[in-house]
Amino acid sequence: MERSREGGRWRPPRGRHRLPPEVVARSQRERLLDAAVRVVAEKGYGAMTIGDLTREAGVSRTTFYELFEDREQCFLSAYDNAVEALVRRVTAAYEAAGEWPERAAAGLATLLEALAEEPDLARLSLVDIGAAGPAAQRRYRAAVQRLTPLFEEGRDYAVGGRALPANTSRMAIGGVTGLISDELVAGRAERLPDLLSDVFFATLVPYIGPDAAAREVERLTR
Amino acid sequence: MIQIPDSSTLPGGPMAGSETRRQAILEGMVRVVGRKGYKATSVADVIEEANVSRTTFYKHFEDKQECFLAAYDLVVERVLGEVIGSCDPGEPWLERVRAGLATVVEMFALDPELARTAIVEVAAAGADARRRHWDAITRVTEFLADGEELAEGRELPANIGLMAAGAVSGLIFDELLTGRAERLPELLPDLLFALLVPYIGPGAATEEMRRAAAG
Repeated sequence: MERSREGGRWRPPRGRHRLPPEVVARSQRERLLDAAVRVVAEKGYGAMTIGDLTREAGVSRTTFYELFEDREQCFLSAYDNAVEALVRRVTAAYEAAGEWPERAAAGLATLLEALAEEPDLARLSLVDIGAAGPAAQRRYRAAVQRLTPLFEEGRDYAVGGRALPANTSRMAIGGVTGLISDELVAGRAERLPDLLSDVFFATLVPYIGPDAAAREVERLTR
Repeated sequence: MIQIPDSSTLPGGPMAGSETRRQAILEGMVRVVGRKGYKATSVADVIEEANVSRTTFYKHFEDKQECFLAAYDLVVERVLGEVIGSCDPGEPWLERVRAGLATVVEMFALDPELARTAIVEVAAAGADARRRHWDAITRVTEFLADGEELAEGRELPANIGLMAAGAVSGLIFDELLTGRAERLPELLPDLLFALLVPYIGPGAATEEMRRAAAG
């Protein structure tokens, strides 16, 4: 969300107006969620205060507490939003693309692109989430599992795929998130799209082995 | 457990006592974070666990985060030390990898607090901690670099070690998140598969997995 503070996100006019309260509340809620993403990107979850959020979003403390119980809940809501948008976008690309492994390549390309476009959200989703305690850590795990279909089709595609360990898709996901996190921790979100060959290799290799994976990578990502 | 030397046997003087107290604080940090998580851990918790005063804590460390980073470094040295110690350089690469992975799994199964601190909570402790975590993973993957011998001339991606390490740490992370460090040894065959498959493919990796499950 590369918006300037003034531009971009619509907000209702100040003072009295005839907008229904739920419209105003929705806008305030969204501004607070956007604020959470920006503040956490800037100072980390541990240092984020409710004051930071209300200042950044231009709402009162009272309003914050009408909408959220505490900062953890605000952060987790921002996280849920980010994950939902990401999964929807990746799934759409994946489903539009025919068969595996082309489908996986399409999904992965979209994933990398989406993360590179919104580096703050990318770090929130994959990196900062760890700081927000056990509830957040479990959410991370659930979010990662939503990408399982992208990988699990490999089991049908691969000869002998049925005999592979049950958690093979989790291994492929771990390889992919490892590569992505490495770039994000080093502050190189803009380079994520360059990872496509490698994340595609990491996706294929537990199902079809390094030789076949290298051939598919060559064929589909040239 | 990180060994804390008995101060009566140390060569002596206030410096030795100071080092003992520093070690105790680091050990305390590992214990508390491993039990409560980084977010919920306070300096008060750590000094109570370590049995030192607040003044002593702040003599050695500026804040909770700095203390955690030092504790994490210690954990990494300890784990790597055990892994390297367990591997016989004369053995083939596959055997060394198996022995190394089994060592890590056993350490974590016997010490769930250590495991949680090393794999889960390190992600909670700020950007410096995360960078050190990836540095540690990179050091482990260098250990795996010999796997490229098995590549037999084919060209493997440069960061294949990172893929393998990411796959393994993801599985361990999941298991720890559900609070089952003690069950990590049961996961060893799968972990071995995850580690080997980028190098030797699913057929051979399945074979190694079965040997590990049987052995």
